[in-house]
Amino acid sequence: MQAEWAAREGALCLRLTDVETLDARSVRVVPTGALAAESGSVLPSMAGTVVTDAGGLWFVPRFPFLGSTSYTVLVGAPGAADQRRCTLELPSPGGAPTTTVREVYPTSSSLPFNHLRFYVEFSAPMAEGSAARHLRILDDGTGEPLDDALLSMDPELWDRDRRCLTVLLDPARIKRGLVPHREAGYPLAAGRAIRLEIDGAFPDAAGRPLRAGFARRYAVGEAERRRVVPASWRLVAPRVATRDPLVVELDRPLDHALAQACLCVRGGSAALDGTAALDEEQLVWAFAPRRPWSPGRHELVVSSRLEDLAGNSVARVFDRDLSRRADDPRAEAEVVLFFEPAEPAAQPTP
Amino acid sequence: MADHGMSKGATVLESVGPIAFGPDDVLFVADNRRAVVVAIDVADPAPPSDAAPFDLSNLSAKLAAFLGCAPEDVAVRDLAVHPRTHNVYLAVQRGRGDAGSPVIVRVDHLDAALSEVALDDVAFSEVALDDAPGLDDERVDIQLPTGDEGEAMEFGGRTFRILRAPIRTSTVTDLAFVDGQLLVAGLSNHEFSSTLRRIPFPFAGEVGGTSLEIFHVSHGKWETAAPIRTFVPYEGGRSILASYTCTPLVHFPLQDLAPGTHAKGRTVAELGAGNQPLDMVSYVEDGEEHLLVCHSRHPLMKIACRDIDRQSALTEPQEPVGVPWERADLTGIVRLDNWGDDQVLALQNDAGGTQHLRSLKPASL
Repeated sequence: MQAEWAAREGALCLRLTDVETLDARSVRVVPTGALAAESGSVLPSMAGTVVTDAGGLWFVPRFPFLGSTSYTVLVGAPGAADQRRCTLELPSPGGAPTTTVREVYPTSSSLPFNHLRFYVEFSAPMAEGSAARHLRILDDGTGEPLDDALLSMDPELWDRDRRCLTVLLDPARIKRGLVPHREAGYPLAAGRAIRLEIDGAFPDAAGRPLRAGFARRYAVGEAERRRVVPASWRLVAPRVATRDPLVVELDRPLDHALAQACLCVRGGSAALDGTAALDEEQLVWAFAPRRPWSPGRHELVVSSRLEDLAGNSVARVFDRDLSRRADDPRAEAEVVLFFEPAEPAAQPTP
Repeated sequence: MADHGMSKGATVLESVGPIAFGPDDVLFVADNRRAVVVAIDVADPAPPSDAAPFDLSNLSAKLAAFLGCAPEDVAVRDLAVHPRTHNVYLAVQRGRGDAGSPVIVRVDHLDAALSEVALDDVAFSEVALDDAPGLDDERVDIQLPTGDEGEAMEFGGRTFRILRAPIRTSTVTDLAFVDGQLLVAGLSNHEFSSTLRRIPFPFAGEVGGTSLEIFHVSHGKWETAAPIRTFVPYEGGRSILASYTCTPLVHFPLQDLAPGTHAKGRTVAELGAGNQPLDMVSYVEDGEEHLLVCHSRHPLMKIACRDIDRQSALTEPQEPVGVPWERADLTGIVRLDNWGDDQVLALQNDAGGTQHLRSLKPASL
């Protein structure tokens, strides 16, 4: 018996030639990796149909054959002395790696020790299900992994096109009062720098590794446990008739994703079209309008969902101390700050 | 059976997450990639049947053989037992990346034969889980980089990185059908909050349900919100026991929750560090309702529902922590569902990572 990969009606199939039996029912195709478990019981064949034509005997799979996977064709009664078998491997799709880690957020150089969340942005869609094997947090001084620092990545948190992975530090160890916090303490410690590493074997959606791994070092500082208070920000108003950005100096680094979703500039009644950006330390937010600034009152609208690096939002503290009135939650859905683009200085009369 | 507002045609799953049975033959399937829950009429062909003991060793190899992939390319995301026929339904991800595909596999309760629930000609309906369009969407639209402005903006000697943040998605962590409503718990890739969605079924409208935020208090001192990892309705759906990603077990009465109110759950138990509750089921033992909770590290945990009602909110983080429970000396159980009234069906990992499917009688554990 001989078996080979061959296309039939557009689908990749297995073609068997030189088969002595024409009894399609005695043909099984089993992934070789599963066959090792076939002792005592007979494994089912891979779902599919057997078709005979002038070209030979075809196994047409219900689910496509997978690359880098070995398959064994078995013909004849299971366990019989005259059972014939042959094994083939479907090669991997191959090709040079093209995908990279574009950025890891925060990009700031330091984190509070109650830091909550990282975002890893890739240049192309990724495969799910292996993040925990390829991403880790290490003590930057010793190079040792920080055990149980991350929340289990089952399920993994991807954005819609599978290019951005959200990674959470274990909230049970961050929240004060919980048993895991009391037993194991914070995942991070002030004064002990960490390194977040993504190894190059992280598979992209095509199954290829990354072009290179990625590492970023963070210093670790004191905890952040206050509500985000937009009223404490400093707004530097732009000049009328320019496209200079509105610059907002924040009181602390903000969450990368929520800074985009939760801040908006309104002129009159409409949200302005433009480009928003954060500086490297996530400490300054800037917004450049597509059309030049008009005179008059403008609004910076802040959704109360906006969070800082430690998960404190405008509405509430991440783990609220019930005895602290300053931590009481705010009910408003949004906070509005006002600014007025500056008029150009009057031209001196000649 | 009633049509439950479903119509016949082809539906496509892009992923599979938690699954749960609803009325008749309706199986709810969370498709996190598309951010929808699909209700599928599985049209189970088997006659009504009792729950005889069930033991399928090495499910991993059988699924790999049936699906034509290596055992490490099979991920069972959830299981649900058909309450009438006791056939077992598995939400399975086959392969990874572009080559991956989700499959609903039916396991026959008599001979453990595997078959696929075909979705190309099936009665179904679906509901979207993304938030209704609002201010946030407007903000997302206007702030993406435009034209050739590049990735960075320079101003006043400073460099700003243009925001190209991921779109918000919610990943369903668990779902259950109670009294005409589908309850859906989820985890956002952005903010860290606790929302439980209530979606009337049959589905009406594009985006379903109301969203409830439930806070919990640790030791009378710190109030916090967290995404729900797994939950189980009991007392006919009047009560919910939920476990959070920050691990406490929290009780709340469902009917007390109204949208927009500051709802508080009562922490009734806590387990130690490095452990996540994974799944829960309610069953009857000696005529009384009990809950069984499986964990990532701790053994199986058995709680009498009446003890939850008696347990006052935890105020001291000391052992013993909260509601009394019994430990069954069984580890590696990752998913549970009912198997008749007094038994459960468990998906269990052995030390080598191979998965098995077997029925258990909790009273004898």
